[in-house]
Amino acid sequence: MQLLPMSFRPSALILVAALAVSACTGAGQPAASGAPSAQGQPVAGGTVTIPIGADPTLNPWSPNAFVESLFINRVIFEGLTKPGKDLAPAPDLATSWTIAPDGLSWTFKLRDGVKWTDGKPFSADDVAFTFNDIVLKKELGAQNAASYAAVKSVTVVDPTTVRFDLSRKFAALASFLAYNSGIVPKHVLSADPLKTTSFNKGTPVSTGPFKVEKYTSGQSVSLVRNDSYFGPKPYLDKVVFTVVPDPNTQIAQALSGDLTIMILDNKAAVDRVKNASGLTVVSRPLVQYYWLALNQTDSRFTDVRVRQAFVHAIDRKAIIKSVELGYGQVANSPITPALKAYFDPSLSEKYPYDPPKAKELLAAAGWTPGANGVLQKDGKPFQFTMDVGQRGVLEPVNALIQQDLKNVGVIADLNTMEWNAYIQKDVVRRDYTATVNWWTYPSDPDVFPYYHSSAAGKGFNIPGYQDPKLDDLLVQGQSASDLEQRKAVYKQLQAYTSETLPYLFLWYPQEIDVLSSSLQGVPELGLRDAVQYIGEWWLAKK
Amino acid sequence: MVVGQEVVRFLAQRIALGALVVVFASALTFFFVNLAPGGPASVMRFDVTAEQREALIHRMGLDRPVPERYVEWLAAAVRGDLGSSLLTDEPVAQRIGERLPNTLALAGSALLLSVGAGIPIGVVQALRRGRAVDHVLSLLSAVGLAVPVFWLGIVLILVFAVSLHVLPSAGVTGVASDSLGDRLAHLVLPAVALATTILPTIVRFVRSSTIEVLDEDYIRTATSKGLSPRTVITRHALRNALIPVVSAIGALVPRLLGGTVVTEAVFGWPGMGRLALEAAQGRDYPLVTGLTVVVAAIAVVASLAVDLAYTRIDPRIRLT
Amino acid sequence: MSRLGVAALAILVAVGALALAGPFLWTIPPEATDPAHGLAGLSAAHPLGTDELGRDVLSRLLHGSRVTLLVGVAAMLAALVIGVVVGAIAGYSGGWLDAVLMRFTDAMLAVPAFFFILVVITVSGTGLATLVLVIGGLSWMPVARVVYGETLRWKTAEFVIAATSLGVPARRLLASHILPQAIPSLVVSATLGVAFAILTESALSYLGLGVQPPIPSWGNMLQRAQQYVFTAPALAIYPGLAITVVVLAFNFLGDGLRDALDPRRRR
Repeated sequence: MQLLPMSFRPSALILVAALAVSACTGAGQPAASGAPSAQGQPVAGGTVTIPIGADPTLNPWSPNAFVESLFINRVIFEGLTKPGKDLAPAPDLATSWTIAPDGLSWTFKLRDGVKWTDGKPFSADDVAFTFNDIVLKKELGAQNAASYAAVKSVTVVDPTTVRFDLSRKFAALASFLAYNSGIVPKHVLSADPLKTTSFNKGTPVSTGPFKVEKYTSGQSVSLVRNDSYFGPKPYLDKVVFTVVPDPNTQIAQALSGDLTIMILDNKAAVDRVKNASGLTVVSRPLVQYYWLALNQTDSRFTDVRVRQAFVHAIDRKAIIKSVELGYGQVANSPITPALKAYFDPSLSEKYPYDPPKAKELLAAAGWTPGANGVLQKDGKPFQFTMDVGQRGVLEPVNALIQQDLKNVGVIADLNTMEWNAYIQKDVVRRDYTATVNWWTYPSDPDVFPYYHSSAAGKGFNIPGYQDPKLDDLLVQGQSASDLEQRKAVYKQLQAYTSETLPYLFLWYPQEIDVLSSSLQGVPELGLRDAVQYIGEWWLAKK
Repeated sequence: MVVGQEVVRFLAQRIALGALVVVFASALTFFFVNLAPGGPASVMRFDVTAEQREALIHRMGLDRPVPERYVEWLAAAVRGDLGSSLLTDEPVAQRIGERLPNTLALAGSALLLSVGAGIPIGVVQALRRGRAVDHVLSLLSAVGLAVPVFWLGIVLILVFAVSLHVLPSAGVTGVASDSLGDRLAHLVLPAVALATTILPTIVRFVRSSTIEVLDEDYIRTATSKGLSPRTVITRHALRNALIPVVSAIGALVPRLLGGTVVTEAVFGWPGMGRLALEAAQGRDYPLVTGLTVVVAAIAVVASLAVDLAYTRIDPRIRLT
Repeated sequence: MSRLGVAALAILVAVGALALAGPFLWTIPPEATDPAHGLAGLSAAHPLGTDELGRDVLSRLLHGSRVTLLVGVAAMLAALVIGVVVGAIAGYSGGWLDAVLMRFTDAMLAVPAFFFILVVITVSGTGLATLVLVIGGLSWMPVARVVYGETLRWKTAEFVIAATSLGVPARRLLASHILPQAIPSLVVSATLGVAFAILTESALSYLGLGVQPPIPSWGNMLQRAQQYVFTAPALAIYPGLAITVVVLAFNFLGDGLRDALDPRRRR
């Protein structure tokens, strides 16, 4: 592995030194693909470099905070809770919480003595401000506000206690508070919560383990250790988020040692990266699943046998193998394996790839082969258009699905569109017949917004599937009071959705992370969740 | 330097025309982008509710009719205010200002490279016209013109960055440093790739222009006077041969600027071309329009500068 | 015509023949996926290997040639039509119409075409028709200039003056007497125009704005290939080479024609 002009890069020097020393004196553990081997006691110092795709917006509630902003916002801003290492909500700015007997209010006890990076004290006022004046203020259009549709208001009980008043039971509140819901300072943002550019695009005031030191547009945002952080002192000195828009360039930079950890979006390069020395490749679970939505306003798709036939017709394992390079698992329900407490593995083998069975089901639904083997009913061929948004793996996936459907006599024409126009057509106007996409959501099984009949039409229930039994299960899940109850409800939900297929579940992808072998202390979570433990990361050097 | 009345009139005319071009370009772009399906990326997120969407559209003033918004934009633009980016809330002028130097650096280096290499190559071809060298160089030129610039970029990255590790594969500077040497190293591959879009044309111009001049009587006179070939070339032929080349360069500036879009995409170069692509995809209307205005203005200014230079170098030309 | 020009013509004829007849002789469909055998190397079944979804590269190259050439020629024709109309009217009318049209042409030339194409296509969608119109709409200017020059030149020829005095209407004059004189120059412009259109389409497809998958075009094959540059670099070579060769051929043909048809040029 050759490093570029080393004299210009202190971080690379440290990395090289670390690698060289550990290679000489370490037990010679080979860089295997798996969890990085622990190298003894954590050591303080060092800089970690992480690539992001574009200039971030440093405000978790700004509608302009896209995926590239997520990583930094989760490091510098903290929410009342954060995802635990088992993905159940863990305390962050809140130390504990209680739910009222009627389930309509939650009281959070806040941590004492937390300071903002400008020295001012953090208090319940900031929490109330964040929610009442930003999230719940509809005209601002804050991001992620939809997660808090059940919250009526937040009240300050005393400087270290807040109460969330709800309009209905919301068992997932603590989980949602861990998801992109950082608290922002009232004393800085009260004038203009979402558009203060010295904050969003400069040096924001925050409470996290690291704070922003410098924001260089188009190039990098560098963070330094926050010495007034309330938690244990982080090991690293600095974290630099460098703007690298091109995924191939990210790989090239990782190969030349310029990056410490990154998500390998372009899974096709995994073999090349695995073979590089000094790098470790690991796979991580994600709370995400891909689906095919068949618009329920189209009568051809309301027959569940047709939907089931489609799932039998699509070779999902082949898609995972070729598009995700094997890093994924067939999906048969909306609960992902990452949610270990709730996931029901017994459904994994449902709907095996079986074109003859698909044809059988379609025939039972009244579709018989016509000219050229194309299925037809009442003289009309089974033909429709699938809208394809240009993003990620959607194009190749649709090409494969098109072929699979063709094999059973269903003709799916592909209409590839630029992403923005695609959203306008398929999501805003709901003017579509069939489309493939994915959902990611907080680490909680509450999938109400995507499945409830009230969310059809303008909400997130894209297929527009309406079923009172499903609605009932969803509401039960939200109102259940303890873990065991919730587990039971969601087990039922998984079985039911698996049978009725509101969405056609395709697969649960896994994330591939590439790390420098000297990086230790990273929990086995997707990078988006692992950065919330960045205080525990350390760089090995002996 | 005496600036004659003719020059002033010429300048005034060209500036007025240039301004018209810029306004025309801005109007075209504004209407096109605003009439397109979709909306600003912040509104077009998958996880935005219909309610949020409406609230955001209202906040951005996008529910007003397009002509009204254009007039408002134009009035502000004339006063120097290009508005704020819809996607970052920063002033458009600032966003462009951050990227402009990068694009100028890239385009400028490509231009320097093309001129610096193009002139000698063209002269050599002219001097050795018809011989093997001429044919080979012509072929290379033609290939350079035919190769898609992004493909060349990918190939260059593969060879120099990934295989040989000699040059960096993208970006303006290294990850943790920012020295001049570092910046230059990052500039090499993109500038070379971009240069291939105009180098062949410059070479061709220089070649044919030099050939024409070399055949002129006064050159023969100079040679017969006993001046060495080198003196003949540099002192007499070259200067006259380069005159039409200057105007050719002016005509190539738009092509160069257009080429930056793809080159910046391949090399992850944070310039205006990338910004334009992102802004168009994100329907950041003020930013797209602002960018078009700036790019058109640059093209207009460049062509004006070239014409002026032309009049200075060639005393035979009169301004019309 | 120079030997190079003839050679170029021969290559283009061969490419054209492949584009037309190829898909009939090599019948694997370009969109037939076979994910189990993705990124396969050369074999008897797949002489150029397969792409990431197991689709046959040779088939995609052949079908892609049809699309690329179609878009190239169609865009060139669009540019030709617009350019001829603008140039002829400007040259023939003279006066203010001449000035306005030619200044407009200059203005369009001054503006970086690709930039505009980018904006327009991003927002107006990516149908083949839009693509052709947009590329044509931004490359007619050189044609207009050529036609303008020719019209001016022949406007004052004796036979034209004679025809005018006989009462021949302007439109017929232009169509039957003046413009035919411009055909040699137009042919040259056309050949070079196709080259430009092909390069522009491939650049747009590379950016994801040109021909949309699953329809293969050489440009969008290159876009997908960039993702696999670490594991299967060959995928990027074939389409890029194809584009280069065809564009080169068109350029050489154009040069050859220009030399052959214009005896006054010194070489």
